Amino acid sequence: MTDRHRFEASVLPLLDAAHNLARWLLRDAAAAEDAVQEAALRAFRYFASLRPNEDARPWFLGIVRNACFTALARERGRADVTLLDEDAWDHLEAQSPSPAPDPLTALGMRREQRLVDAALRALSPPMREVIVLRELEGLDYRDIAQIAGIPIGTVMSRLSRARAQLKRQLSLAGLP
Amino acid sequence: MNDDDLSRLLQQHASRHPADERLRAAVRTQMTLQAAAQEARPKASAWTAWRERLAQMTRIHPALAGAGGLALGVALTLLALLVAPRLSPDGTLPDELVAAHVRALQVGPLYEVASSDRHQVKPWFQGRLDYAPTVLDGPLREQGFALLGGRVQAVRGQPTAVLAYQVRLHKIDLYTWPSEHGAAPEKLQHRGFNLVRWSDGAMQYWAVSDVDGAELERFAAAWRAAAAR
Repeated sequence: MTDRHRFEASVLPLLDAAHNLARWLLRDAAAAEDAVQEAALRAFRYFASLRPNEDARPWFLGIVRNACFTALARERGRADVTLLDEDAWDHLEAQSPSPAPDPLTALGMRREQRLVDAALRALSPPMREVIVLRELEGLDYRDIAQIAGIPIGTVMSRLSRARAQLKRQLSLAGLP
Repeated sequence: MNDDDLSRLLQQHASRHPADERLRAAVRTQMTLQAAAQEARPKASAWTAWRERLAQMTRIHPALAGAGGLALGVALTLLALLVAPRLSPDGTLPDELVAAHVRALQVGPLYEVASSDRHQVKPWFQGRLDYAPTVLDGPLREQGFALLGGRVQAVRGQPTAVLAYQVRLHKIDLYTWPSEHGAAPEKLQHRGFNLVRWSDGAMQYWAVSDVDGAELERFAAAWRAAAAR
């Protein structure tokens, strides 16, 4: 099987997960599509760096994730935030918070979906990232650690803080 | 609320954003362009390496190696000419058309005459070709296929008329040249691109695009219906 076929077989099926992650991390649909396309191109160029028996999912989602954080950093007017810690993100978020969904989309949503989406969006990107990967994509700690480029301990502590914040906000809103 | 309650809430109610068809198509196109660019390079170096090996093998004057290479090249070409038509009725034509299409997208020009009006595009071909291609605009536009313009590009060594259309974000190239055999539309796939070819007994048509196969067949059907009017 050529690299091209191997790429098609292993990476193209991951586009749904890639787009979901990008859409949750980035501001709008266009930015998410750009990030996925950029990640796919990079993945294709460096496909040789994926070992034959290595799982393509964490490898590719890691590339997507990096493309997203680079885009986020660019958007926040800071080229150097990709590797920043959460405190720095919180600070940046306070300066320019993630915007709300557009009203037309929000209108058609059920109440639960609106509240859950709003609670997720209120998380800082590093916390949103681990929650989306864990709860929506069902990945294990090891894969999440590889994707986000952080130790497993950090994945667990971020998850637990993200969960605490989500529970607080959703309970206040009267869910479940 | 415990962690399980939270997981259930998130999994049941959070919005999901799967990749849509347009994004998939964009990724595939990008990949094909990239693959074409990568393939173009190793071929040349393989040829050089092979010539060097031949020169080493013969250990005589490089000119002789060149002559040997030429003889072998001629033999291989003859073999290809004899064998290729038997492997596939179209030989390397789909390959060549996809390469031509990719080249036009990548380095251009996608069209040398830019117009959505066939009365401008058709006369442009005068003097550039020894045949007059059919150019259609209005009836195809009604079906969502907008004429962008036309160009002349070499196919099988012959200057050939190419019409460029657009449907949504996809470009469709329609290659056309004279042919006396009539044939119903036939769909092929090559390197991720779709091709539909047909013939009306006077002209041969090949449509090449990254748009999905059903859409390209719809283009062919719209063209045939409009041409028959």
